[in-house]
Amino acid sequence: MNARLNNSLLCLYLLIILGFIFSPIIASFIFSFNADRFPSLPLGEFSVKWYEAVNEDADVWAGFYRTLTVGVSVAMVSTFLGFCAAYTDYRYSFTGKSVYLALALLPPTVPLIIMGLAMLFFLSRVDLSGGTHSVIISHVVMCTPFAMALIRLRLSQMDPDLESAAWNLGASQWGAMRFVIFPFCLPAIVSSLLITMAVSFDEFAVAWFVSGLNETLPVRILSFLQGQVSPRINAIGSVVFMLSMMLVIAANIILMRNSSKKTTEE
Amino acid sequence: MGLISNRSIFSAFFSFPPLIYQLAFFVFPLFFLLVLSFWSVKFYRVQPDFTFSNWLYIFEKGYFWKSYGWTFSLAAMTSIIASVIAFPASYYISFKLSENIKRIVLLSLIVPFFTSYLVRIYSWQVFLNDNGIINAALDYIGVGAVAMINTKLGSVIGYLTLSLPLVILLQVFSLSNIDRNLVEAAHNLKCSPLKTIFLVVIPAARVGLVLAALFCFILSFGDFVSPIYLGGATTQTLSILIIDLSKAGQQWPRAAVVAITMIVTLLATTFLALRFAYKGKS
Amino acid sequence: MNNDKKTKSTIMKSRRDFIKAASAASGIAALGGVAPMLMSKKANAAPREMTLLAWYGHGEKDIVEAFEQANNCKVKAKYYTGGDNMLALIAQSPPGTYDVVLSDAEYVLQLKEAGFVEKLNPSDYPFDDYWPEFQRFGGHWSGKELYSVALRFGFLGVSYNSENISEKEAMSYSLLWDEKLKGRVGHFDWHLPNLGCMSMYMGNPNPYDINQKKFEALTSKTMEIRSQVNGFYDYGGTFSSLKNGQIQAMCGIGDWITGVLQKDGSPVRTVIPEEGGLQWTESLCIGKNAKNHDLARKFIQYMSSPEGQVRSANMAAYPAAIVNKKAWELLAKVTPEEAKRQRMELGKDNVISDIRNGRVKYRTLPVQQSLETWNDFWLEYKNS
Repeated sequence: MNARLNNSLLCLYLLIILGFIFSPIIASFIFSFNADRFPSLPLGEFSVKWYEAVNEDADVWAGFYRTLTVGVSVAMVSTFLGFCAAYTDYRYSFTGKSVYLALALLPPTVPLIIMGLAMLFFLSRVDLSGGTHSVIISHVVMCTPFAMALIRLRLSQMDPDLESAAWNLGASQWGAMRFVIFPFCLPAIVSSLLITMAVSFDEFAVAWFVSGLNETLPVRILSFLQGQVSPRINAIGSVVFMLSMMLVIAANIILMRNSSKKTTEE
Repeated sequence: MGLISNRSIFSAFFSFPPLIYQLAFFVFPLFFLLVLSFWSVKFYRVQPDFTFSNWLYIFEKGYFWKSYGWTFSLAAMTSIIASVIAFPASYYISFKLSENIKRIVLLSLIVPFFTSYLVRIYSWQVFLNDNGIINAALDYIGVGAVAMINTKLGSVIGYLTLSLPLVILLQVFSLSNIDRNLVEAAHNLKCSPLKTIFLVVIPAARVGLVLAALFCFILSFGDFVSPIYLGGATTQTLSILIIDLSKAGQQWPRAAVVAITMIVTLLATTFLALRFAYKGKS
Repeated sequence: MNNDKKTKSTIMKSRRDFIKAASAASGIAALGGVAPMLMSKKANAAPREMTLLAWYGHGEKDIVEAFEQANNCKVKAKYYTGGDNMLALIAQSPPGTYDVVLSDAEYVLQLKEAGFVEKLNPSDYPFDDYWPEFQRFGGHWSGKELYSVALRFGFLGVSYNSENISEKEAMSYSLLWDEKLKGRVGHFDWHLPNLGCMSMYMGNPNPYDINQKKFEALTSKTMEIRSQVNGFYDYGGTFSSLKNGQIQAMCGIGDWITGVLQKDGSPVRTVIPEEGGLQWTESLCIGKNAKNHDLARKFIQYMSSPEGQVRSANMAAYPAAIVNKKAWELLAKVTPEEAKRQRMELGKDNVISDIRNGRVKYRTLPVQQSLETWNDFWLEYKNS
């Protein structure tokens, strides 16, 4: 009886925590349909005018396309690099490997604002700042560790003898890579593509420093926040939220389907 | 011969790209930041130099150390608060929930990472304002207004928004890896549930719990959005100082000094935390 | 042989280009099918892009739309907060990045000295229609050389919430020390207007021209209200915290913020206190090596013409008084109520008479201290 009470208390507790985490998201969604310019209670009339305003704003669209370009490029490049790093860690042991791994995994521990400062200074020195490519370059640095972690996790589930078995059967290293390793890692690769894209999609601090005149969407949100405070922030946020959600859920479905396939195989 | 070279091409193809990329665009920029801290500014342009004046300037300022103290203690406090708040939830998720529900809860904890952090902070303003949602609710139940926005509490709420989901996820991850037999054994020895948690579960999950707190510290230590938009004048953190220095008068070298101090602090904290986490383990 | 060398050098013109190309290529390769679509869309549209560095609002639709249509161009704006921020942004981007720079008048000299702006041809602009005060505005000319054209101006004083504070209380900067405003005073996050107002309060006839002793007195007096302060805000933050009552009083801002809120129905006002107020002035310059020099010139011509001036007076982001006398006539026809609200009516007691009777002083750069010294104090103040 006591245990059951404990359990329901814990359940309630979890719900409160989830409430804390989700309340700003939900509130922003609600206020995006509120006609008042400044969000306050009680709510004003229902309106989609902020969505219309966003839709008509050429800068927002330009930012959106730019964010998309950046997101797709970053996803491809960082997943490739992440795969390389994960495979290197999986296959080889060499002196200095811990340094190699530290390099591959450290970037997320550096505060974004410092990354931004360092990237802007460095990129402007080599004449690479102020453009969409600057954002791509910086985001790849930050996203590669996520890609590596996801793919490495998948590789650790692989039977280590599988690759050498393929070699013994006469496959070249490239062949084994193509027909054994790559297909096995595919679900992790797909989810890494989606997750790195989602990370890049919401990053504003570094992009704010390096993008110059070519603002991405999150940087645009930041300028809205600093300039004309407007419920358009909520409207953009809600749309981006939906998009990112779709990416995350897709990634999860792919991972889940695969892991359930694996358990049934076992 | 041909075989060997083919082999090395293969391994080089996979090993070098990440190494070269991270050297060029991660290590190098950070190294440059260190170099920058010895440069000087003339006419709003930075120019190569070798001077310690930026270091002296920053380290001599009382407000720098004050800000450092605040940033550090707020981040440390947040990571303790987050760990404590998260633990019961993580415990419940890992030990009491069925696999399916667990999966849904974990998924919903991932979701916030992919919503705009800026939008979430902006949204918190509506809750925390003097005339905001929370105060309206407090007023309704007859409790007077509480100042929340532009206070340190505001900053901490922002930090928690950023890091709490991550802390729970990491804690769940480490709790799920605990050997169930260990917990069973404790139960069989008539250990009370609370005692089991403190004597068995927490020590067994120590590495994960420390890592979770560490990540929370790292995120809070470097965040600038919460202190600006929720902390107001009460929390001028180091990251705001970096923004101010680089924005006003192009004092990049001084901003670099602050940045490097922050990185060194983070590295030292990470090192100590890891040592503590793996103490007595190999 | 020679030919060969040439090809090689064009291919590898510079390492930078190569890296740029490589990173661009990887981006495009990654984009795959999507890229060509986006690219071609860009190529077809073809209006020229004119870049503008300005305070928030100057590149928005209500100001630039007509100009864009008339000249088949698109104004691409980057916004800053405060002159130091502006200088930093120009300094960190390659020359030619910005075609037009909107600067606070007192920073024009700095822009000129750092070589960030082009010399202008005075006969291009309608100075004859300007109020005399703005024809040869200080710092915009160096001898016969012109570097900047004044665009608009406004006054800074005490802004307050009229529900809880009376106009009488607001008529002195001493309001900021009032116990009842603890945690209710805000700052616009820029040293120049804030310290200028404080200097007026200290009774300095030239608020920015003070000796070291006076400056120290000013800083320690300012430090006294630090515990009253609840936030340092950018434009957006100032706006929403005055609106939601988080801030009750502020100095160093003016109608350019409270005017917008008033229109929105908020009980927020600005007065010029007994001790006097400050005048801010915004001016337009052409960036050094501007890529669209001709468009930049046309833009400044447009903004100084009656039509552009009237748009500027009614700017959605923040309204302001305008400097072209002929534009006042147009304003009286187009938006008479705004002309009245902003006191820009010819033949009446108006903003120009305020300047003439000495109630307001120009905001300038510090004279006896360096800009850096003032900036440093502001940082220290913020972090206290």
